Amino acid sequence: MGTVEHIGRGAGRISGDLGHRPPSPRPRVTEPPTVRIKLPRQFVPPKRDPVRTAVRTFGEILITLGLVVLLFVVYEVYWTDLVSAGKQRDAAAALDSQWKTKEDPQRQDHFTGLGEGDGFAKMYIPAFGADYEFTIVEGTTPASLEIGPGHYTNTAYPGEAGNFSVAGHRVGKGAPFNDINLINSCDAIVVETQNNWFVYRALPKAEEKAGWAEGKGREAQCQGVSVLGGPYADVIGQQIVTPSDGLVVAPVPGSETAPSAGEQAALMTLTTCHPRFSDKQRLIVHAVLVKQWAKDPAKPTWTPPELKETV
Amino acid sequence: MYGWIWRNLPGPFAVRLTLAVALVLGVVALLMFVVFPWAEPLLPFNNVTTTQ
Repeated sequence: MGTVEHIGRGAGRISGDLGHRPPSPRPRVTEPPTVRIKLPRQFVPPKRDPVRTAVRTFGEILITLGLVVLLFVVYEVYWTDLVSAGKQRDAAAALDSQWKTKEDPQRQDHFTGLGEGDGFAKMYIPAFGADYEFTIVEGTTPASLEIGPGHYTNTAYPGEAGNFSVAGHRVGKGAPFNDINLINSCDAIVVETQNNWFVYRALPKAEEKAGWAEGKGREAQCQGVSVLGGPYADVIGQQIVTPSDGLVVAPVPGSETAPSAGEQAALMTLTTCHPRFSDKQRLIVHAVLVKQWAKDPAKPTWTPPELKETV
Repeated sequence: MYGWIWRNLPGPFAVRLTLAVALVLGVVALLMFVVFPWAEPLLPFNNVTTTQ
């Protein structure tokens, strides 16, 4: 910087017969003259320019914030999954040991005395693969939902008349209900309790209600699934509601009045956020109890045939 | 900012590098275990229940 070099040699060389002069023993070498130019002061960057420092620091802060946001994505999508997977494993292990140690001689399921976050049942959705298994815990607080799908405390329990309602995360924390929008009508949702297997099947969707009995309702796996009548006429397999619509977990979904317990259907309801990454709405899946298999203590490894409906 | 931190780390290159890595890991841990768990409930996609 600041120097200008003269091209001393090579330029203007003339080729041709130079005669028979012997080459000079010591070729003349001239050092190219060096000219130093002093730059005006305003072009010389000073060592510490406060403006430069400020701009650079601002840029560095922006880059840092970008990295923090990326790290948050990693946290939300991967890290919370790992943490929840650990909690889910613990809940499943606790439930297994409880089922083994506290046998009821009458082989009745009891759901009393459950604390917030206690596992009490397992759910399977065979259509999501043979490995789709979650332990359902009591309560829908953030701490409970971090463990797994959470049961709305004031709703029915598996197999009971009423509306067994469960909420689950759709983003992060194991995302148990990530794909429940893909549950088709008649897909099985199998709930395992200490002494029973309950098979719920998703109800017909709104557009399938017309002509159900002649159409899809005739398929083998739709046995027991029908368009519900009476007070349940508006209950469909899948719906999207506003977050304030608490009636979706009512004994008769969407209705404030409920028939007496003896006349209630046994339903199951899943709720999660909708659309993904948003809390603008809630995605609701309604299913109806179609079958109950009592567990046989002599065959502890037996599983119901519905679990093999993995398409 | 980063240049200032690097200039103010003591010791030879190897020590500076170790300290710098430790600083980065510390900040990441602080974010992962304290800041993010605190900030998470303020974000929308964890609301999966309907009000009752």
